[in-house]
Formats: sequence, structure tokens, C-alpha cells
Amino acid sequence: ARPGSVLHPPGPVLHPPGPVLHPPGQALLCTPPTRPGPALYSTHQARPCSVLHPPGQALLCTPPTRPDLVLHLYSTHQARPCTPPALPSQDIRNTVGNIPMEWYQDYPHIGYNLDGKKIFKPIRNKDELDEFLDKMENPDYWRTVHDKTTASDIRLSDEQVDLVHRLQKGQFGDVNFNEYEPSVDFFTNEVMIHPVTNRPQDKRSFIPSLIEKEKVSKLVHAIKMGWIKPRKPKETTPQYYDLWAKEDPNAILGRHKMHVPAPKMRLPGHEESYNPPPEYLLTEEERMAWEQQDAEDRKLPFLPQKHSCLRAVPAFSRFIHERFERCLDLYLCPRQRKMRVNVNPEDLIPKLPKPKDLQPFPTTMSLVYIGHSSLVRSISASPTGQWLVSGSDDCTVRFWEVNTGRCMKTLEVGGAVKSVAWNPNPAVCLVAVCFESTVLLLNPGLGDRLVVSSTDQLITSYEPPEEDKEQAVTWALSEGPEHDNGHRLTLTHPKAVKQVVWHGKGDYLASVMPDNSSNLQVLIHQVSKRRTQNPFRKNKGLVQCVSFHPLRPYFFVATQRYVRVYNLIKQELTKKLMTNCKWISSMAIHPGGDNLICGSYDCRLAWFDLDLSTKPYKMLRHHKKALRGVAYHKHYPLFASGADDGSVIICHGMVYNDLLQNPLIVPVKVLKGHQITHDLGVLDVTFHPTQPWVFSSGADATIRLFT
Amino acid sequence: MSQLQTRFFTDNKKYSVDDVPFSIPAASEVQELSNVINKLLEAKNGSHSQIEFDFLVRGQFLRTSLSNHMEAEGISTEDVVEIEYVERFTAPQPEECMMHDDWISSVEADSEWILTGSYDKTARIWSLEGKAVMTVAGHTDVVKDVAWVRRDGLTSLLLTASLDQTILLWEWNSERNKLKARHCCRGHAGSVDTIATDPTRTKFCSGSWDKMLKIWSAGTIGLWVVWYSVLNWPTWLNKTEEICSASWDHTIRLWDAETGSVKTTLTGSKVFNHISYSPLCRRLASGSTDRHVRLWDPRSKDGSLVLLSLTSHSGWVTAVKWAPSHEHQLVSGSLDNLVKLWDTRSCKTPLYDVSAHEDKVLCVDWTDSRLMLSGGADNKLYTYRYTACETDAGA
Repeated sequence: ARPGSVLHPPGPVLHPPGPVLHPPGQALLCTPPTRPGPALYSTHQARPCSVLHPPGQALLCTPPTRPDLVLHLYSTHQARPCTPPALPSQDIRNTVGNIPMEWYQDYPHIGYNLDGKKIFKPIRNKDELDEFLDKMENPDYWRTVHDKTTASDIRLSDEQVDLVHRLQKGQFGDVNFNEYEPSVDFFTNEVMIHPVTNRPQDKRSFIPSLIEKEKVSKLVHAIKMGWIKPRKPKETTPQYYDLWAKEDPNAILGRHKMHVPAPKMRLPGHEESYNPPPEYLLTEEERMAWEQQDAEDRKLPFLPQKHSCLRAVPAFSRFIHERFERCLDLYLCPRQRKMRVNVNPEDLIPKLPKPKDLQPFPTTMSLVYIGHSSLVRSISASPTGQWLVSGSDDCTVRFWEVNTGRCMKTLEVGGAVKSVAWNPNPAVCLVAVCFESTVLLLNPGLGDRLVVSSTDQLITSYEPPEEDKEQAVTWALSEGPEHDNGHRLTLTHPKAVKQVVWHGKGDYLASVMPDNSSNLQVLIHQVSKRRTQNPFRKNKGLVQCVSFHPLRPYFFVATQRYVRVYNLIKQELTKKLMTNCKWISSMAIHPGGDNLICGSYDCRLAWFDLDLSTKPYKMLRHHKKALRGVAYHKHYPLFASGADDGSVIICHGMVYNDLLQNPLIVPVKVLKGHQITHDLGVLDVTFHPTQPWVFSSGADATIRLFT
Repeated sequence: MSQLQTRFFTDNKKYSVDDVPFSIPAASEVQELSNVINKLLEAKNGSHSQIEFDFLVRGQFLRTSLSNHMEAEGISTEDVVEIEYVERFTAPQPEECMMHDDWISSVEADSEWILTGSYDKTARIWSLEGKAVMTVAGHTDVVKDVAWVRRDGLTSLLLTASLDQTILLWEWNSERNKLKARHCCRGHAGSVDTIATDPTRTKFCSGSWDKMLKIWSAGTIGLWVVWYSVLNWPTWLNKTEEICSASWDHTIRLWDAETGSVKTTLTGSKVFNHISYSPLCRRLASGSTDRHVRLWDPRSKDGSLVLLSLTSHSGWVTAVKWAPSHEHQLVSGSLDNLVKLWDTRSCKTPLYDVSAHEDKVLCVDWTDSRLMLSGGADNKLYTYRYTACETDAGA
């Protein structure tokens, strides 16, 4: 290597001032004295480093006797002696024997001489450039070989080269060896009259062998018994391996085989003949007709003509034209079989049981409850199933007898009724009605007299507590004519109330006052103690509807997009359900308490399995317009949804006790009957508490019973 | 197959014809067959006047052409067809329309008087000619059911059941037109929707929304036995110790009135609105919310066995009533505003549809004196006169 040269392909060289060594794979920076800028060498061209040193390091040595060779960086596996090569002993011989020479690879010497001194390897400081120059210039380069045992180059003599040539040709190494010498027979093939042994044959060689006889008789017996069967004759018909036997015809390669042969041309018939039978010749009229026809409509593309002899037949003028059309036909017409996937549309539909196996469910409209004069916002059935209460925008609350459709009672209230709810406790006869900012508790006086009177007693038996706490609403007891009308308690809220809902036990009542800007949106009232509390400190969005869990102390709050489940005892958020809806309109809890349905204004109904996930278990998009009301049946596996398209859809929603089985949801019936008024159809749906019947109230001021 | 071999026969000796096979066109309908019989009778008896007949092939009324009917019923056309003929039940003629102030919830008529219960909290007594005789006012709520108990000369005992959970027993003297409330039966914890008196007219039974069926003794008012069921529509069987009740829990139960135990339970699939028992054919007819009138055999022990479904109504069947003097006929009222007159031998189509009402029909009844009654939500009580065939009476 020439120090100072900038680029050294093998084995990088470092220049005197400030060599900087970097970890492997990084660059090597050196500043040659003659050049102002640093040169950057990549070390990844450097050979792999020695095992003796940590990888990436190198051996740095400064030969003292070679001031021109200022600094050499030797990769240790091609390490060279650091001493100047002043004593190149010519009689290097192998003193180590036939050992793997890699053992001495990393040493500057190979073996030891008789004095116990190291025998150093001759210096090999040739780089590939030198090697190349050597190859170009040295005429003996071709006969120079490297001897690994002594690590020296040896020039082969003429005899040695000759021997190599002979061996390469496959000849014997020895020139004097004759491989075609005549052969000499050492042993004779002739029968001798005096053999080496002349022993007479044994007696047993004349006597049949008993052992063999036994074996043969065994075989014969086996053949007789059919244990051994004759070999099957080999099939003489040649068998070929069918390369394409298992090939899938639908595979890409298989498609190429789906060749559709081009249609063959019709062979010429009598009309093409030069002398056709007279019936093939066209009459004058036919000829006229033929000429008037379009070329595509003609039955024959030519006119049959009669010639006296074959010699008189002229050249066919349309020949080129016809050939050209044929060619066009052959190459323009796509002759391939089209692979169509025939999917039976029935297979795409999930396997669901037939609706008729899921009876009973409501199928026909049976009764229409007529009496309201404006849209009926809300309905609720009494726990016995004998009565129905409805609240309407005409500021009345009506009580109906379910099985006849008779309006038993009409109560005027001071505003459009937003929501009604019949107390689910059969021992209490109370109906909560909300209009404007008032929640009214009514005693309709229907049903058992004892229950009616005990309800009144329950309300009047209230004793006010000693310290009067400030409450969000004011409780007022109705008296006088209002009391005779059935009014019992009036809860005046600070804001407009949209929904009232009872707890299953019938003592607690929740009211919703949607308001985007305050935390006072939901209030829970206790009727027996006339107490009101606001369960939420923070505003989590516009509350749409709330509901109590039928069994456990949970409280469901539906905001525009989420349903939050709160534990009322621990006072914490238990779950937050993402509905994937734009705006929730209604919500219903399964009587088992583990499932929930949400109707939304964007025509969707989401079924949640609370044990499964916070995402909907199923989204149903059966309605054409916004959903307004959803309901579960208390006993039958049914749920219903009413929408602005005027229809009520009944679905079978079976919830299994087995936790591993997901709920089965089958739409079973679309019930129509409500007229669409002002773009509003069905506003509320509710099920009869004992029968598989559904009530729906609509914007057409009617309530309908489907059975 | 244009001609059929037929043989006509009848139970009525007055109209009997010779027992000879006739060959008649297969396409002939009731009117043509009726003409044939009339011709035969005229030939036999010169003074015969034209009478409309109805024809029964193997116990089923002929309603289409003879060939169609036989094809539908699977009767061979090779043999001689036996055709029974009866005098046609003439259409009931509307007679009176009695206006009420409110919906009519119930009606019961006997041979002289009609008793109606109304939603205006009163019951009314009318004469058969449609004259209001008496207003029974005493309930504080809607009268849901009424019943005659018995009549001793001019004094009658009558019952009214109401939504105010009481049943009132009244004594009414028709001559002096005096009404006296005899007893007030309290005990139900729900509206009493239905009452039924037993054939001996000494006991009655009431069904209520409190899921109870109570038996009362009409002589000395006292609670008899109490049973549990859902809203019952009781009816007495002819034997005094059996009560049948149809209920909203989809069952018809047969009770032993002495012990108060269920003898038989017949299970249907829908809510029963009303039930009626005919001592003539010993069948129960039930009206239910699935628009069918069903016939049951109360003697069958193995539960749900429907003998026949009469299907024509398009709304809930709210009332059914067997004919008092005919074993095959019954009348049903429905929420589709129709009253239908049925013959059980023609279960596909009713004999007559009576479409007098403009609103829901809530109650029907008929009397021995050839009067059919129906009341409904249009506040009108209609009576219809019908002529029963003499032979059918007591058949």
C-alpha cells in the first residue's frame, strides 16, 4: 500500500494525523497531510476482523524502520510482520506437517526451525493492483502457485507443468507407464483331468430332501386352501401419467384451455353451384327483392347464377371481401367462455327461523282508540293490562279500556302532554304525566277500589321532615276540584320536562329536562318521602331519555350518541355504550336487564348485549324514517319499534339464559295502520303487560292495538 | 260428468219426496236443486207453495255448485249422492232499534223482557216491542254484564255486574214497575265483567279482572267458592255442578261447582273473549281475539281439541251465543261491526251477515221467541225476527 493514496480498495489505510477509529460499520475519518479536507472511507469494505480483537478494532502498528510507511492499519486476519522484511529466508520448508493451515493464519510465522525459532512467512504485501500488474507483466504468472504450507509463491518447473497437463487430461502421471499391456491368464478355464479334489458325491445328493418335501407340501396345502394365490398378470396396456388430471379448470392456467373453436364456415350447397338446380335460381321478383334488401337482411350474400359450363364461371368478385369478413369474424369475436359465479341469493341470507314458528306475536290491527284531537305523544299500559293511558298534544290525558276501546276518562291538563307512565307496581294506582315544566301524579281511580284508596292514603300519610331541605322541584298536594279529577301531587320543575319514567318498584320516578348547558337535566324523585335529588354533577350532553334497570340499582341515561349506565349505590359510571347513531330517540331495557335497545332518528335500532360489549350487538335498519319509540315485552321474547314511516316493526328477540348463546333477533312482522300526519307516523309503542299485543300511538291522533 | 245420480231425503215428513235416484246436472246450485224439489212436491201435492230449501251433502251445507262442492269435499261422483234438504233458514228481519245513551255492554232477553247493560252506569229493561220500561240505576260505574235470574209471576230477579266491583241483585215487579235492590254482592277486587246464572236459577257465578271466579247463591246471598284464574267468562253447563270459564290466559276450564276444582283444561292459543254452551249439541262455542269462533267438546279430557273453527270475522269475536232451540245454529258478534249467524254444518261461510251496526258489536243474544238481539258501541240495540223451522226446534 502506498500511504497517502486516497483510495485503497482493500484494507483501508489511515493517515498520520489524528486517525479516528469508529465502531464497525461506521466511517473512518482521516486527514492526509497533503490534502486540506478530510477523506472519508467506509470501513465496511474492510475485511472481517480478527477473533483475537474485539470486532471492529484493528491492529495499529508503526514500523520503525520504514519511515515512509508511516502508519499501516492491518486487518488482523491478513496481518503482516511489523518488522521490516529484511531476512526473507529462501529455504522455507514446511515444518508443521499436514495440518489445516488456518491454524497459522493469524500468525506471522509458520512453524519453527530446528533452533526453535519461528519461521516467518514471506512478506506478502501485494494488493490486488499489484496482483493485477503481476498478472499482466509477469510471463510466469500462470505457472506461479501459492503454497499454503509455507505461504510462499512457487514457480512451477517445466516438468511439473507437464505433469499437471497430463493429469488434467486424465493420463497417468508417469510418462513411462503403459496402460495397454497384454493380459496374462493366471488361472485356466479348462476342465482338468486331475482336479484338486476328486471326492465322490454324497448319498444325500441322490435322496430327495425331506425338508424340501415338507416345505413343498405346505405350499401345496396353502395353494389348495386358497391362501396363496397366483400372481396377477401384469397389465399390458401402457399407463400414462395424466399431467392435467388434477388441474383446477378455474385456475388461471386452466382458463386457457377453455378454448371455444371458431365456428366453421358452411360448406357450399346447391346455390353456390355454377349450375344450380332451377329451384335455387331466383325469379325476377325475388331478385328485385334481394336487391332492395339491406346487406344484413339478405338470406344469401350472393345471387345464385347459372353458367353453361365451369369454364364460363367468372372470378368471384366478392372473394377478398368475404375473406376479409371471415378474418374479422375470427379475430374480433371474443371466443372465450365467461366464468360467472352463480350465487344463489337465498344463500346470502342468514339462516333464521321462520316467523310462523316464533308465534305468538301481534299480526293484525284489532282496535283503534279514537278520541284525541292531536298527536298522541305517549302511551302506557296499566300493570293488569286492563287500562291504557295516553297523553296527547291536545292537552288531555285519556284512560282507555283495553279490550273494548272505550275512553273511560279524559283529564285536561295545562299543556301538551309529553310523556305518561303508569306506575308498574300493581299495589299502587298512580300515573305520572308530564307537560311543560310540571310532572303530575294522577290517581285515575281505575282498577281495584282498595288499591285506589290505599294509594290516596299513601300520598296523604306523608309527614314533612323536621328540617326542610331546599329541593330542585316543589312538591304540591292537589286539593279541591283538581283532587276530585284525580290530581294528587304536582312537581313543578325549573325547566320543561320531556320524559317521566318509573322505577320497577314504583316508588322512585325519574324526570328528564333536556338542557345542553346545565347539569340539572335528570331528577330522581321519591314519591313516598317527597324527596328529589339530582344524581349528576356534570353535564355529559343533552339527555334524551333515561330508564331504570328492572332488577339492579342501575340507571341508564341516553344522551345524543351514548348510553351511560350508572350504578346508583356506588354512584359511579359503570359502562358507556357507543350506539353509532347520530341521535338517540328512545331506549328500552330488556326485563332480564342484560340487554338494551336504542332507537335513533337516523332510522336505526341498536341492540346491546351489556355482557358482550359496549358496541351494538346488532344494528337493525328496517325502518325508512326516524324511530320514535321502542319497547320490550315483559314476558314474551318480543320487541317493537315505531317510526315516522307509520309502521311498527315487531321483532322476535330471544335472550337465552346460557351466557354463551347470543340473543336471537328475527324480524317477524311489519304492522301498518297509522296515517302519516305532518311527516310524523308512530310516536310511541308499548306492549300489553300480559298478552302478545302491542299498542302504538301516532300523529294521526289515534292509538292502535295490534294482536 | 255433466249429470249426477242423486237421492233426496229429508226428516220433515211434510216435504218428503219419493226415494228414487234422480239424475241432475252436476253444475246445478242450491237454487236449481230447490226448484227441483219444489217441482216434485207440486207434482205430489197440488196445493204446494214455493219454499226455499237448503241442501246438505254429507252433513255440509251446499254453498257452491254441486260438482265443486263434491270435489272440495272429496266425494266420489260415481255413486248415488245422498242429499238431505231442509227448509231454508230465512234471513233474520230487523225489527226494532233501541237507542241507548251510551255503549251497550251486555244484553239478555227472556220471553218477555230485554235487559241491557250500558256504559252510562245503568241497566235498562225493555219490552220485546222496543219500549223502554225501566232504568236500573244504582251502580257507580259502567255496567258490564246483566242477567235474568228467575221470574215468579210478575216479579223478576235480575243481576247487574259493574266495573265498580259489585254485583247488584234487583227485584223488579213488572206490573207495578217497581224496582228494588235486593243485595249488593261485594267481594271482587276488580271490575266484574261477566256473570252467569245456573240452570236451576238458584246460583250464579261471576268472573272478574281480579282473576277470580266466584259463585254466589242467589237465594241467600253468600260467597260460595273462590277460584283463581285470569278474567273469566263463565257459563254454566246444564248440569248444575259444572261451570265452564274461558279466560284471558288462553284456557277454557271446566270447574266442579261443588268442590271448586278444575276438571278439565282446554288450551287455546289466543285470548278468549266469550264462551257459550249449548245443551242441545253439548258443545262449547268460544269467541277469541284471533277472529275465529271455535267449537269445543267439554267432555274431552285430553285438553286442546278444537272440533271446528268458524272463520269469517275480520275482528275480535266479542260475543257468541248458541241458538236456544237449534242444535246447529249460533250467532257471533265482532269488532268488525258484524253480527254473523252460523250453522255449524257450514263452517266456511256463515248463513247470514247482519251488518246493522255502525260500530263494534259487544253483545249478542237470542230468545226462544224467535228474536235475535245485538248491541254495540253505536249505542243501538237491534232486534231481529227470524223464523225457525218447526222441525229443527227441539231436534
